[in-house]
Amino acid sequence: MNRKPVLKQAFVSSLPVLMGYTTMGFAAGVLLATNSGVEHPALWAFLTSATSISGALQFMLVDWIQKAQPMLEVALLTVCLNIRYSMYGLSLVERFRGLPIAKKLYLIWSLTDETYALEVENKVPPGGDSILYCLTLAALNHCYWIIGVVSGALAGTALPFPNKGIDFAMTALFLVILTDQCRECRNRVYAAVGLLASVVCALVFGAGRMLIPSIILMLSALIVFRKPLEKLESWRPGGRS
Amino acid sequence: MSGTSTEYLLLLTAVTAVVTFLLRALPFLFFGTGRRPPALVLSIGKVLSPAAIAMLVVYCFACYVRDRAPADHLFGLAEIAAAVVVVALQLWKRNPLLSILAGTAVYMTLVQTVIP
Repeated sequence: MNRKPVLKQAFVSSLPVLMGYTTMGFAAGVLLATNSGVEHPALWAFLTSATSISGALQFMLVDWIQKAQPMLEVALLTVCLNIRYSMYGLSLVERFRGLPIAKKLYLIWSLTDETYALEVENKVPPGGDSILYCLTLAALNHCYWIIGVVSGALAGTALPFPNKGIDFAMTALFLVILTDQCRECRNRVYAAVGLLASVVCALVFGAGRMLIPSIILMLSALIVFRKPLEKLESWRPGGRS
Repeated sequence: MSGTSTEYLLLLTAVTAVVTFLLRALPFLFFGTGRRPPALVLSIGKVLSPAAIAMLVVYCFACYVRDRAPADHLFGLAEIAAAVVVVALQLWKRNPLLSILAGTAVYMTLVQTVIP
């Protein structure tokens, strides 16, 4: 079977990700170099971006390094940030069944939002090997992300610039994700739950200690009020559902 | 342990990588044989994400309130203005990169010049 059209199509499909990952990664890399205070930003940029391949996490890391956040909290927050990944595999379990373990592990390891979307879309040329397509996509996207973060870290180290306020990039990233999630009506209900729980915890515990109590309060509310919240999903202010 | 020490950074890299990998592997570990996950798990998996992101937005702003006494900084005008720019641009253009870069640029300009 001819591999070339598959490789070519994988590259073409990955081009929008090239744009997105290199620029977003660059921003995260600059932030790591200018705000975390680590000694070899490019090295840590490489190690962290190569192993977790996660956008929001890459920004959060800087905050954790500054505060020397305890590991239990790091683990819990990572779950919160990346819980969505645990849903992605559900639609790929069938396709990845019976693969050699190394290929399967890599495909799972590299499953980001964008890679998942492209793998599900699966624009493999007729008669082409779908697994080869997925592996190529995954490896390309993985490289783009590492290149973005590392070059950002190098730029941030080499060119000192007035960086006061650059930490707003993380706030902006969360605002963007929240805005997109709230386009879907059902998500607004759950965003409101998170908002309420965390405002209460911020007032009670203060900014430095609010995260763990917020997660506990939020999860309890989501489990205990699961049924009523589901009813609220289709509710619209002043209108019929 | 200081946040910038090699031990802390290695631990941080390992913990985030392993937890993220396990989350990605979850469906392959438990539901690889065609079984569907329990309803509660599916539903929490879907609804936790918006709640957690909302929490992180609140966290970011709680840190600003703590670190930049509101009364001394025009009651968070820089933060509010930059946040409005981000949300408005994202609603309008749907381009995450543009929204983040523009919002951050507005914020940096404001805190470096007008509202230190």
